[in-house]
Amino acid sequence: MTNYAKFFLSLALALFVTPPAQAHKLREQGVDFSVAKSSLTVTPTRDWNRLNGRRGKRTERWTLDGPQLNDVTFFGGVEGGTSLFKGRGQQKDALPKFERSMLLIDIPTLLDSTYRVTRGMRSFDILDIEPQPFLGAEGVGFSYQMIASNGATLRGEARAVILDGELFMITYEAPRLFYFETYLSDFQKLLDSARIG
Amino acid sequence: MRAVFLSILLSCFLLWPNVALSQERSATRQGFDLQAQSGQTILVFRPAVQVGSQSMGGMFEPDADWTLKARDHIAAALKEQQSKLGNTILEAPEAYGEDAELLYEYQMLFGAVAEAVREYQFFVGNRLPTKKRDNKDDIFDWSLGPGVADLPGAADADYALFIYNRDEYGSTGRKILQVGLALFGGIGVQSGVHVGYAGLVDLKTGNLLWINVDGQMGGDVREADGAQKRVRQLLEEFPGSELEK
Amino acid sequence: MSAKLLKAFAGIILCAVGITSAQGHNDVAPLPPPYAGHYQPEGRDEVGLWQLDDENERRLANAPILIRDEALTDYVHEILCRTVGDDRCGSIRTYIIREPTFNATMSPNGTMRVFSGLLLRMRSEAELAAILGHEFGHFEKRHSLNGFRSRRRGTDILAWSALLVSAAPSQQGFRNHQNLELSVYGELFSYKRNQEREADLLGLGYLNASEYRPQSASEVWTNLMGEIEASARVRGKRKPNFKRVAFTASHPPQGERAAYLKALADPQGYNRDDGALRYREMLAPFLSLFLEDQVRHNDFGATQYILNSLGDLGWNADLYFAQGEMYRSRGNQRDFANAIESFEAALELDSTMAAAYRGLGLCLIRAGDRSRGREALKSYLELAPEAEDSAMILMMIG
Repeated sequence: MTNYAKFFLSLALALFVTPPAQAHKLREQGVDFSVAKSSLTVTPTRDWNRLNGRRGKRTERWTLDGPQLNDVTFFGGVEGGTSLFKGRGQQKDALPKFERSMLLIDIPTLLDSTYRVTRGMRSFDILDIEPQPFLGAEGVGFSYQMIASNGATLRGEARAVILDGELFMITYEAPRLFYFETYLSDFQKLLDSARIG
Repeated sequence: MRAVFLSILLSCFLLWPNVALSQERSATRQGFDLQAQSGQTILVFRPAVQVGSQSMGGMFEPDADWTLKARDHIAAALKEQQSKLGNTILEAPEAYGEDAELLYEYQMLFGAVAEAVREYQFFVGNRLPTKKRDNKDDIFDWSLGPGVADLPGAADADYALFIYNRDEYGSTGRKILQVGLALFGGIGVQSGVHVGYAGLVDLKTGNLLWINVDGQMGGDVREADGAQKRVRQLLEEFPGSELEK
Repeated sequence: MSAKLLKAFAGIILCAVGITSAQGHNDVAPLPPPYAGHYQPEGRDEVGLWQLDDENERRLANAPILIRDEALTDYVHEILCRTVGDDRCGSIRTYIIREPTFNATMSPNGTMRVFSGLLLRMRSEAELAAILGHEFGHFEKRHSLNGFRSRRRGTDILAWSALLVSAAPSQQGFRNHQNLELSVYGELFSYKRNQEREADLLGLGYLNASEYRPQSASEVWTNLMGEIEASARVRGKRKPNFKRVAFTASHPPQGERAAYLKALADPQGYNRDDGALRYREMLAPFLSLFLEDQVRHNDFGATQYILNSLGDLGWNADLYFAQGEMYRSRGNQRDFANAIESFEAALELDSTMAAAYRGLGLCLIRAGDRSRGREALKSYLELAPEAEDSAMILMMIG
């Protein structure tokens, strides 16, 4: 095809194909929602927003004020041998994969490595790892602090469990100043409502 | 080829309706009213003002002379305007060590909040459902948290004004490109970027009392008149102000 | 800089490149010209760039990604001074940034940013001096300004290509865009490549005149080639051809670079000290942190290469530990045996290394040896009872 032809073709395409606008969706309190295209279900105790788009095959992202201020991510059954996020371009080669043989204590490191590769986190410090029940099984709870590539300092809190060789996890991240503490209890209520089915 | 291209551009331009989406630029926290002549002290952190021109590819070309002038003009205009309102402007002391790191973190936080306000409460088509509802109910509720009281200079003031400004004046090539891109892909390329965020924060609670986030500001800050216009625009609907627009 | 001067520099570059292609010459990179003193910016572009840079430096100084360690920063700065001379290094401020890639940058107002990933990969003061001298060469020749001007032309073309692509949001269009992006960047970077060569030669000139062994400059690039190759091999990619100019590479191909730096290094400097022992000693407190950042970036081949390269000078507990973590994080069953061996080697050299017991215990458990795994985890908790994961480990010991 000549450059001219390409140009006209693309012009035609541009005029007739308009990408559908996807909106963020309301997640009202007291209603059951299945999240991350999975059997993972939560019942929020206040209204949240589901952000459109997904960073991984089995993920979903909620926020109250915008992901830069409070960011909840659900992982609904990541299968063995696959990564948490999709990743772009060269990132794909470096993306760490969840393995069925992983121990619960390995999960924080998996998240750490995933973030450094896909989000360019400069540091990821684990503050605490504890055994915590999650989705009716023995799981792991952990908290962390990280420095983003733009220099912002963020705090995070997560709960994870491995069920039938699949990873279920919910993470909450927010700026260390003010936001993290302020919305931590809202996140915890969301976390407590999580179940399978 | 060039003639063909331009004629296509032109015909598209004539046929295509120019849809301008109106969008809020500023908001005030419900119940907040800064009384005129109430003699408040407003702390201002080193205004981040960068002025330059923009070449066609969108690279920012800094210009020191403009930047210096812009900073002076804006500072002067700010003082003049606020003294009309009966407020005192206090320039924050130069911070060092841990103070400077704290200020850095708060400026990042203000940037994140301003961005979230613009992207998720003001931006038509991308609003979060809960923020849409807030808009309907006249609720504007954002905060940096009470920790702002520890910022250098905070003890001597009632409010803090965070300012972020970035100006790029477009070249002719870029203006042509702008028309083209808007037609074909709906990609927003602005001829000249004039982003301004200004936010007034209560130094006791950290609540954001008023904000103006403007991605397309007027006023050529390279000139004193322009700077005044910009400050007027940046401080448009500043609580208690009855400034002419 | 006047056009005449520019032409003169272009001449020097051409000469130098000519020398490298002609085998058997005994020429070495010349001593740097006398220092012209503190430089002040001139003209609209340059003054503007400096001002922006001052503002960036102001932010950098308060940014959390800065490694605020006076001893380390002073040490790196001191190496720069010993390379380029005290009069020159007086106009430079050195910052160490936590970023695990091989890089250092020099901006026009005299801000030197040294990445932690560079410090990790260097094996001696002389190797670091080669890179710092190269970066200083950019400063002395004011390349940021010239780069800025040429980039401006490059991105103008790119904007037009974005226009064509936005009209065709298909896969094909996307690929076209990629190619166009490559071609524009290719042009842009070839201009930069000349600057890189110029800075290389100037850097080597400083090194020839310094107390350091100038042959180290070429060894840095040989080593980097080894790392890139190892990374590609483990990922099942084709072996990169270092002789060919990679289109996106902003720098001369490493092969060419290693060759001309080798040819132009002063042979009389061959037996000079390279400060390897001192370097290792000064970096020791940071080794485990820098290695952890490297391991977490999950580039198995590169990490393995770096460890072996540092290990050539003697394996220590930090290196063995990082090797264990590298195998553990890849986590194939066959990796656990290697990880266990590495952790045991680390413990042999340092029996108080709590983290090595942790790694050992977790690997043993995943490899199926639960009882020995629990023993190792017990030792971990004895050494680090306050560890952030102690509750979790206690449950596993059960």
